[in-house]
Amino acid sequence: MDHTLQNTHVKLLAFDLLSLTPTPDPATFSRSGKLLSRAEIVGTITSRDHKPSKFIKFTVDDGTGCVPCVLWLNHLTSLYLPRRDPSTVRLIAGVATDFAAKIKIGLVARVRGRIASYRGDVQITVSDVVIEKDPNMEVLHWLDCLRLARKRYDVVVNKS
Amino acid sequence: MASSAIKSGALVNLTELHPSSQFYEEGASLRVTGKLQDYAVEAAMAIIADGNAILKIDTQHLRDLSFRVGSIYQFIGELHIQADCEAILQARVGRNVDGLDLNLYRQSLQLLRQFQADRMNNTVT
Repeated sequence: MDHTLQNTHVKLLAFDLLSLTPTPDPATFSRSGKLLSRAEIVGTITSRDHKPSKFIKFTVDDGTGCVPCVLWLNHLTSLYLPRRDPSTVRLIAGVATDFAAKIKIGLVARVRGRIASYRGDVQITVSDVVIEKDPNMEVLHWLDCLRLARKRYDVVVNKS
Repeated sequence: MASSAIKSGALVNLTELHPSSQFYEEGASLRVTGKLQDYAVEAAMAIIADGNAILKIDTQHLRDLSFRVGSIYQFIGELHIQADCEAILQARVGRNVDGLDLNLYRQSLQLLRQFQADRMNNTVT
């Protein structure tokens, strides 16, 4: 398996992301022999389910598929972040709350995060949300995905 | 996750939306783009056009979207075919896309479809 893209936010179209293959490591997925753990997608927000101080779940539709995304908002109460400096946790929580306020149905969002699996389906655990105002950005993302797939993601590196 | 049941709106040009098209199907989830030709406020019904092709859009479920004739809009929703064979898109999402380079959009859509078809074939084989 090729690890060269494992710590990169790979730009993927929804149909491609949703067809990634799980690996024994739940944080890692494979695509054409390459291991992936992070992704970047761009599309229209088509649903939103907000549980204040817990999470916001939303879907991003890029015309090739609908990607389920979850942005956690429980940093101040989570038992999984006890070793972090409290000021850092407050900062992370504040950023996540700001992202949550931006997520509205009908807007086009660029979403980055960790690829995860929930009940057998691929989803993104969100780390970044940018709302795209320029209507051409979604088209440019398609072209980025195509170019990167052909020139980078689909290229088999011969190590011999 | 409940929201995963939401269907993706297939990207389609209005010129491709005719009765013999694969997209012309009752309940099909589509994303369409066109210039607003007319808007009836009381019926919340919009008509968008792309060249000679037009489509009626039922916008009753949309909020916070203002309509301006001559502007370009993009809608995601479900296609409903009436008894008289007229198609209406029941929009669930809509936005103004003034400034969208329509030529780039159409050409890129062709490339996207080709890429998706190649990728799916490679995955299957």
